[in-house]
Amino acid sequence: MFSFLKKALPQSTTRIFFATDLHGSERTFKKFVTAAKFYHVQILIMGGDVLGKLAVPIIRETSGNFRATLHGRVQRLTTAAELAEFQDQVGVLGFYSSIMDEDEFLAVRADPAAVERMFQQLALERLQSWIELAETRLAGTGTMCYITGGNDDYPEVLEALNRPDAQCVFAAEDKVLQVDAQHSLISQGFSTPTPWHTPREVPDAVLGTMLDKLIEQVDDPTHCIFNFHEPPVNSTLDTCPQLDWSTDPPAQITRAGQVVLFGAGSKSVRSAIEKAQPLLSLHGHIHESPGAVRIGRTLCINPGSEYGEGVLRGCILNLSAGRVDSYQLTSG
Amino acid sequence: MSAASSISAAPEIFTRKASGLVRVMSPYSAFVYNILTMGLIFPWTYLWAPGALPGGNLFWGIILATIIEIPIAFAYVWLSTALPRSGGDYVFQSRVFGGGVAFTVVMSGFVIWILQWVALSGWLLSYLGFAPLFLGLGATMANPGLSALGVWFTQANGIIVVSLANAVVAMLLLVSGFKNYVRIQHLLWWGTLLAFGVMFYILFSTSPAVFVERLNAFAVASGGTADFYATAKAAVETAGVNLNPPFSLMATLLVAPIAWTSLQWATYSAQQNGEIKDARSFTNQTIIMVGSLVATGVLLAFLALGLERVAGSEFMYIAGAGYYALVGEATINGFYLWPNIIAVALAASPLVVTIIGVGYIFNSFQIVCNCYIGMTRVLVAMSLDRLLPEWISHVNERWHTPVNAHIAYFLASVPVILAYNLVPGWVGLTLGVTFGCGYVFVVTCIAGALLPYRAKSLYEASPGAAYNLGGIPMVTIMGSLGGILGTIMVLAFLLNPALGVLGAWNFEAFPTHLWAQIIAFAIVVVSLGIYAGAKSSQLSKGIDVQFAFREIPPE
Repeated sequence: MFSFLKKALPQSTTRIFFATDLHGSERTFKKFVTAAKFYHVQILIMGGDVLGKLAVPIIRETSGNFRATLHGRVQRLTTAAELAEFQDQVGVLGFYSSIMDEDEFLAVRADPAAVERMFQQLALERLQSWIELAETRLAGTGTMCYITGGNDDYPEVLEALNRPDAQCVFAAEDKVLQVDAQHSLISQGFSTPTPWHTPREVPDAVLGTMLDKLIEQVDDPTHCIFNFHEPPVNSTLDTCPQLDWSTDPPAQITRAGQVVLFGAGSKSVRSAIEKAQPLLSLHGHIHESPGAVRIGRTLCINPGSEYGEGVLRGCILNLSAGRVDSYQLTSG
Repeated sequence: MSAASSISAAPEIFTRKASGLVRVMSPYSAFVYNILTMGLIFPWTYLWAPGALPGGNLFWGIILATIIEIPIAFAYVWLSTALPRSGGDYVFQSRVFGGGVAFTVVMSGFVIWILQWVALSGWLLSYLGFAPLFLGLGATMANPGLSALGVWFTQANGIIVVSLANAVVAMLLLVSGFKNYVRIQHLLWWGTLLAFGVMFYILFSTSPAVFVERLNAFAVASGGTADFYATAKAAVETAGVNLNPPFSLMATLLVAPIAWTSLQWATYSAQQNGEIKDARSFTNQTIIMVGSLVATGVLLAFLALGLERVAGSEFMYIAGAGYYALVGEATINGFYLWPNIIAVALAASPLVVTIIGVGYIFNSFQIVCNCYIGMTRVLVAMSLDRLLPEWISHVNERWHTPVNAHIAYFLASVPVILAYNLVPGWVGLTLGVTFGCGYVFVVTCIAGALLPYRAKSLYEASPGAAYNLGGIPMVTIMGSLGGILGTIMVLAFLLNPALGVLGAWNFEAFPTHLWAQIIAFAIVVVSLGIYAGAKSSQLSKGIDVQFAFREIPPE
């Protein structure tokens, strides 16, 4: 199969795989790394929101057995094999798990700050294990992997990406990176405010300033890839239900009995694309609005996300001389 | 506000505040959607079965079809909770079998065959909606002009005009935004339900003693003969139809495939899984699919009981002969005696006529909308997979809908609408849709049966993985059972001429009498050809279409 692809593609073609919003899913990250070989790409780009949202405490009972709740069902785990299988299942879903005694669980549950610390620690451990896995698997393959955070990611945890000894896995945010002889990459993971008040949000105007500063550093925007977590407003890559910010959790706004849909993207991102007209703009953030559209000459992609099902949604792109020759949305 | 963590309402789980996917369609809306798709108004069973299958019991035939569909619906429940994404059958099949099988089966069985359904919905709208409305109003208000208008809606020109308008309005509505459709769906739902309820009430509350008298009065008011019932009965008997056939088990079994024309659509919401809230919930999917199936099956079965109660089995055979044996005297001015026209005749009230007429109009319109909603999603998915041109998946920035896909499907439906109403014999392909879509459902059931083995990790991460029987995954049991039962239904259409032209194998003057079978076969070959062509074309651009579906091994 790959020999066919090699024959079909000229030597000057750079083949990229982009995925985003894995939210802690172990299985989809492993797939993301394997995608380099599977899709025969030279560059992997991750678009942000790499950290998980939910932690399952595996509670050690006095009997020595464990209990844990998943999908609303309490599960009893009596053997080491069952425990390992359960932890694996939790990881597939993008959740974290932590083994703790009953007393420890009750203490953490009673203290929101302890919950926060637990999440940060679990997220850091997983991200570090991912970096190690990717470095190991990609070593010697020539494939480079660029990762940025998203609005949901703790800034403290994302620091783990900045490593002086990086060989294949690089922090991409707020930098101009040369991904091949002809094309550069700039990344920005912040978003405009959301009803969830997530860790990395700024007003749209501030985001615009951040993007402008980054774009100013690019020599030739027409040969640049934008990797901005938030999609451009009203691009169809940003369609989602409008939410009531005054409730916790945010509730859908309905009108005449129907959910109101709207474009939740950023004006600044759209403006940046319209002005700079890069060859490609990669986005995530809105899981339910995958697709590909053009804004002027720029191909804009949001592959969507189905991390919870263990499915890696992504996009393969073939680039040459400041052009996207072809692309393909994937569901691996 | 900084990122805060909080304890979820669910016990023994920690969550933190983070953005996420939000879905639009409530499980209730999906339940309603399935019932409306199954079409409470589909009338085939009540005329086709008595005409083609003497001795068959309608009530038990419909119940049998419901029972047969249950394992099929459960296979979809498992698949939907494992893969809660829009695209339904195409997604399920491509995940388990790969793109070649999925594209060929879904393109041929769904996308192409359902064009016939677009034409059919126009026919339903005109013939079962507008015609009875104006015929009924003409009769109850003694207005010949309205009656004449009603008759126009039964003629080819009237049906073509209505069908094209029906398709255009549905296209424009859906292009303007899915939310606009969902808003109207509530109106369609309550209108249809009211019409069905009124029809039920009339059929079960009217004394059988007045049936003949009221039917004759309605026939006269509609321009028919004065002694309609007796005339029709004599003509049918002269045509050799036995009006009191003994019970036939085989005929009863063969009623089921006809009733399946409606009931096989119990799982159509799977096309919209990506838009349904809590689509991974087993309970929700069971209510949406199995619940809607049982509710519709029971209602359709009791409609048969109501008809037989008020009109008698003798009349069912008279009406059936008017439709199936084309005995003209057993029609009112050429109009077949569908259940709704019987209710209209019995009520003799302009209000009831309006309620039933509008209800049928609503449900007919719902059907064409469903054709567009489901098939444009499949077309977009195929386009995103690089198997159809890129412009088909283009989403309009203003309306946020795949406008090109809608236009393409509308344009493709125009020749089918014309053929349906102008080409002699084409209408015989109507139940061919049940055959075509039937094999899609069968292949999906097999995909369900193989899910634990062909997509192991996906299956194991799904809530359905917890259900086994004797160590065998329940989805394998349900998928296998559904696949076998569905195959029997599909084969019935291919082997029994009483179920339509696909079952009539006449090799004389080949290929003249086998045109329907040739069309059915050619649709599959053309679909396979499109797949092979697209695959080859994309490979030359560095795109392997198999990558769109193939699961990446995580290790």
